[in-house]
Amino acid sequence: MKGIIALGFAVGVHAAPVADEGWQELAGYLFRDAHDAFTREPAGADRRRALGAAASLLNEPPVSPGKVADVEAQLRQLLADNAADEPAIYARYLLARIAHLHRPAETAEIEAAYRAVITAAPAHPLAQLAAGKLALVLLYQRPDLPVPARIAAAAELAPVAGSAQLPETACIYYRVLAEAALYYDMLDERALGWLQRADAVGPQDVMTATSLRIQLAEVARALGHREAALGYYRSYLATAAPTDSRYHTVAERMADLAKEAK
Amino acid sequence: MKRPPLTTVVVLLLLIGTYLYSAGRLVLRRGPAVVDPSIEVIRYAHWQIEPGVREAFNEIAADYMALHPKVRVEQMDIPGRAWKQWLRTGLIGGTAPDLVELASYENPDDMLARYFTPITSYLEQPNPYNADEPDLRGLSWRQSYTAELVPVEGVHYFSTNLLEYYGAPSAMVTVRMFYNRRLIQEAIGEDRPPRTYDEFVALCAALQRHADVTHEFVAPLAGSWFNVTQITDGLFSAASQRVALTLDISHDLEMSKVEGLVNYARGRWSLTTPAIRTGLQTVEAFGRYLPPGWSQLNREDAMMQFLQGRAAMLATGTWDAGGILSQADFPVGAFKMPAFRRDDPKYGRWTLGPMSEANTFAGVPFGLTRTSRHPERAIDFLRFLTSRKSNAKFSRISTWLPVIKGVPVPKVSESFRPVEEGYVGGVNIRFFSGEANQVVLQYLYLLSGNAASADAFIAQTRGPFDRAFRGELDRLARVSRETLRQKDSVLAGLYQLEVGTGLGRAKFDRLAANQLTVEAERLRSLRTLADYPGK
Repeated sequence: MKGIIALGFAVGVHAAPVADEGWQELAGYLFRDAHDAFTREPAGADRRRALGAAASLLNEPPVSPGKVADVEAQLRQLLADNAADEPAIYARYLLARIAHLHRPAETAEIEAAYRAVITAAPAHPLAQLAAGKLALVLLYQRPDLPVPARIAAAAELAPVAGSAQLPETACIYYRVLAEAALYYDMLDERALGWLQRADAVGPQDVMTATSLRIQLAEVARALGHREAALGYYRSYLATAAPTDSRYHTVAERMADLAKEAK
Repeated sequence: MKRPPLTTVVVLLLLIGTYLYSAGRLVLRRGPAVVDPSIEVIRYAHWQIEPGVREAFNEIAADYMALHPKVRVEQMDIPGRAWKQWLRTGLIGGTAPDLVELASYENPDDMLARYFTPITSYLEQPNPYNADEPDLRGLSWRQSYTAELVPVEGVHYFSTNLLEYYGAPSAMVTVRMFYNRRLIQEAIGEDRPPRTYDEFVALCAALQRHADVTHEFVAPLAGSWFNVTQITDGLFSAASQRVALTLDISHDLEMSKVEGLVNYARGRWSLTTPAIRTGLQTVEAFGRYLPPGWSQLNREDAMMQFLQGRAAMLATGTWDAGGILSQADFPVGAFKMPAFRRDDPKYGRWTLGPMSEANTFAGVPFGLTRTSRHPERAIDFLRFLTSRKSNAKFSRISTWLPVIKGVPVPKVSESFRPVEEGYVGGVNIRFFSGEANQVVLQYLYLLSGNAASADAFIAQTRGPFDRAFRGELDRLARVSRETLRQKDSVLAGLYQLEVGTGLGRAKFDRLAANQLTVEAERLRSLRTLADYPGK
């Protein structure tokens, strides 16, 4: 009996580092090593480990349709065993990603898969990721919708996609909305508003932050908001990195705009 | 007893001699670590075999060894042609040196992740070798760099996918026109570099006339496809800066490659767009002064023409400066290719002015390999190498530009200093893809010689460019799909590692944001290709 307890303890002690090693390898783009770590021993009832095995197999070289199908089957099994715990939420998200990016799928299936992630746990960080991806589908993969409807549908996802729990992701979601509007030549107050929301979140990356200020200045200028544009130009000039080659161009555009009103 | 034939004796003697020589080399070779296990050996490898660089590295290594007698620092300079295979073999075999020069095009993310140690945490600590510098001692190692190693796309020291620093850079280079001061003096009566593009073309004409009069075969410009594109890149871009601003979809005053391609597919610019045609015409203006057969020559040929006094000017990177200055038997000057004026009647309509070189990033970064036997010692040497004192020494000996705050630019390198007060770039048709580059190289000859013609170039290349640009948009979408797929797995790993300590602003959040940006760009490209299928 003592021996069995000792063995169980040893396995338990051993399992945690193996799992950590697997996640470390996975986070470091070492997919094969991660898969080896996760599958060194049978996952058994360890659902996180089963998730790790599936997530690493997805990109284990050589990537093949057969492997992707295996991963889908493993993820569906995880969901079938328990549809509500953390591994299940992640499995649902990965299934949506597989439909979107790893194998051919109809747009309706992709949309439904992302919506399933959001519906299952709307406050979860993965729901925020899924909402951001769904916004992209609506913006660029729904040619059946008129352009204003594409943008409106993507913007409706703001309560989830713009959640404060992942501020960097939220910032880019708002920026993606604004840039889609600019791509479709729909430069209007909404685009300015989305850029303002992205700026309010405050991205950590210095180049994203400074580019946002230029975008704000240029869009405000195009909409005739002279004072706001000047303010954004000033804000950019005060924070630009020394390696930013746009500095002089911005300074001159600001000076030109300031002169225009005189 | 029969004596062995003479040839056998000779062969035997040769074999014995070779054996003794090899054995002697082995015994006498520098390598105290072999006999003294207390010696730490740090090896660092790079491909910068230009004159001056190896010497600079050697002197700094000698300084370090004088400071740390129990350390031996060995430099390994590997020619560029052998670098890729040499490095891969070393990394896979576990025999790579401790420190290796990095370049984003040589070291993909999977290679960095597998074989190199991130040095972000080291860079955020002060560099102890700057402890005597009052203005640097309170700064982190990263902040001791002139531009503080801004982590942007395309730099060699940071991976935007792995979100980690992998290299500590040592130097910076720009592109300049080197010139034979004596020939220029003879041709125009004064040693003065041109200040405008018109003056540059006039200088080429004067040099040509001087050669005709003196019957000396001296070309105004040293030619090779490499050196000529060092000139044309700037001209294409400067002639079309205002157009680039109209093609900047995101309104961030920087037309990206994808934005340029998307707007090409949407029919918003083409080779016949006046600004693009003007860029080609600028090349037409100086192309007539290129030496015959220039497009068949390579960099080394052009360098030889210049060093032998058979060409008066040579456009190249300042990485060649050490070699030029040490080998030329004539006085050498250098200047930045002059820009067009906005009021230039021929070329100025779509220009903003000289292009900014503010984004010239620090290069020659060394990364720490995971197989290093002395990683802390290797990092210590790297800190020493990039301390203010060592960087000043490196810059002085190599003539390459320094990268550490407060290091003076050597007098000889003053004209290499990046010009920061300039404008954003324009549309450079060569930069859009590898295939577009090949089209330019294949047909650039049409812009040279007495029959130079921008229209002929456009007529010949319209079809190839059309295929190249649309093909590149499709290729980029396919390539980014692979990296996006990989990030799905990587994010799963980061999520599990970081969920306990908070995901907001953590790597998971930052990589998810990066993935969203890249995915948006990819889908926008695919939308464009679908909506604008072309001919």
